[in-house]
Amino acid sequence: MRLVITRILVISLERVAVEFNDFSFTYAGSTKPAASHVTFTVGEGDVAVLAGLSGSGKSTILRAINGLIPHIYPGEYSGSVKVEGMTVQETPTYELAKKVGFLFQNPENQIFMFTVERDIAFGLENMGYDPKVIREKTDWAMDLLGIRDLAKRSPSELSDGQKQRVAIAGSLVMDPTILVLDEPTSLLDPHTALEVVRLTKELNKRLGLTVILVEHRLELVSTIASKIIVVKDGSIWIQGTPQEVLLSDGLEEVGLSLPPVVEVQRKLGLKSGGIALDVEDFVKEVPRLWR
Amino acid sequence: MAKAIYEGLKFRYKTTVIHRLDPRVKMLLSIVLFALALLGFNFYQEIITFVLVAVPATLAKSLKRLMRVVALSITFGVFVVAINLLAGGTVVESIVLAVRFLEIVASTSLFFVTTSPDELEYVLRWFRMPRDFVFAFATSIRFVPVLLMDLTQIIDAQKSRGLELDRGGPIKRIRNLVPVLIPLIVNSLVRSGELAEAMESRGYGAVKKPTSMDVLRLKINDWAALSLIIPGGALLIWLYIYVI
Repeated sequence: MRLVITRILVISLERVAVEFNDFSFTYAGSTKPAASHVTFTVGEGDVAVLAGLSGSGKSTILRAINGLIPHIYPGEYSGSVKVEGMTVQETPTYELAKKVGFLFQNPENQIFMFTVERDIAFGLENMGYDPKVIREKTDWAMDLLGIRDLAKRSPSELSDGQKQRVAIAGSLVMDPTILVLDEPTSLLDPHTALEVVRLTKELNKRLGLTVILVEHRLELVSTIASKIIVVKDGSIWIQGTPQEVLLSDGLEEVGLSLPPVVEVQRKLGLKSGGIALDVEDFVKEVPRLWR
Repeated sequence: MAKAIYEGLKFRYKTTVIHRLDPRVKMLLSIVLFALALLGFNFYQEIITFVLVAVPATLAKSLKRLMRVVALSITFGVFVVAINLLAGGTVVESIVLAVRFLEIVASTSLFFVTTSPDELEYVLRWFRMPRDFVFAFATSIRFVPVLLMDLTQIIDAQKSRGLELDRGGPIKRIRNLVPVLIPLIVNSLVRSGELAEAMESRGYGAVKKPTSMDVLRLKINDWAALSLIIPGGALLIWLYIYVI
């Protein structure tokens, strides 16, 4: 009984970073809703992965987190979205920008300035911080991302991976509690993509950031995710822990491919007691699974 | 050709005595040289102006690049000579006019090859230009390499589908550009939408007076340069108008 009460207390004390409650949105000029009755929560410090086909409504959901919907994109809005307790509809985008760091698909389109350090400082300059504070925070962000040696470089001289780091630093310098990444690996080679995913997990651990990440390649992110939300035609098709989602049937129908290691286990019928999400865990588990 | 001029004018980070000057001082130097080029009406004045442009360009280790930009502008110089001859000018007058035009190009280019776009933005802000205007101006320069890359990719893609840009007469050649320009404009519009989203996400417009990480301050070398440029420039302008 005591255990049950403690569990209930723990669950109720777990703070929610992002809360979608029956959120629907139809863009102005469109008749088909881009998001329909979306309900989910992401706890503080969690890594949530949004997955689904192109055009399934993932970007709409992300835009509703940083306030671009409804403040920039007009349309029919219903339900509610709360970020760190603030109702997005009632909060201006610049206030949300202090809480939500946003990383777009193509980092090239979010690097405005001519040198790396000036670009990282861009958000703080917009907020009117004192030049000394801007310098300190910019240096901190560059050190955190390991890009201090790039400070004076022009964005056009950087590799894709470096641009992604600069864009992340530009978001983190605002000291957000939530980091939203819209397909950050889609333009990267496999090695750099893995590097960005590892970096995301490291930032989640070191800074206690809540991470919401859009990614199709589940094999890249299933090991770092605490929750996977699959979106189809603007609605949530399934959500749960990686184990729950990866064991569900029909993922191929929504355009997702299983991580090879999970596919092997599923084909072998190894479902009981959970599945291993990466090769190392699988190798360790082989004797038990084989029994 | 546009790409070659862009490459010529593109700022490259160097640590020469000219590059280290405050951008406002570099701008003043360029304005004085520009005025001298504009006031030059004979060969002596043109030679003096040429030397005055060449000295800071050499100190900035950028003389070759400047000459390349001037060389690319020679076509326009020839055009100036032809128009002047048609208008009844003498050969000498026409050549002086063309040289004057090339010196104007060189004096303004000196500012751009030694001043980073960041510094240029600071100068515009110092002139109290509206923030939106400065940002739009700076962004348009920042995205020139990106647009050039887009342009190259579109040209390659269209050529691989059979487009022949260099075929036909002048009007046909202009028409040939349509399949290149339309995707370029569409790409740019899509990109501008993403840029606007990114600006919102980074708090653009949050306060009326945004701050800057670096503040322009004149140092000893800037004062030394000013003490040369202001009296020297005034003296030369007077000499150009009344003496030489």
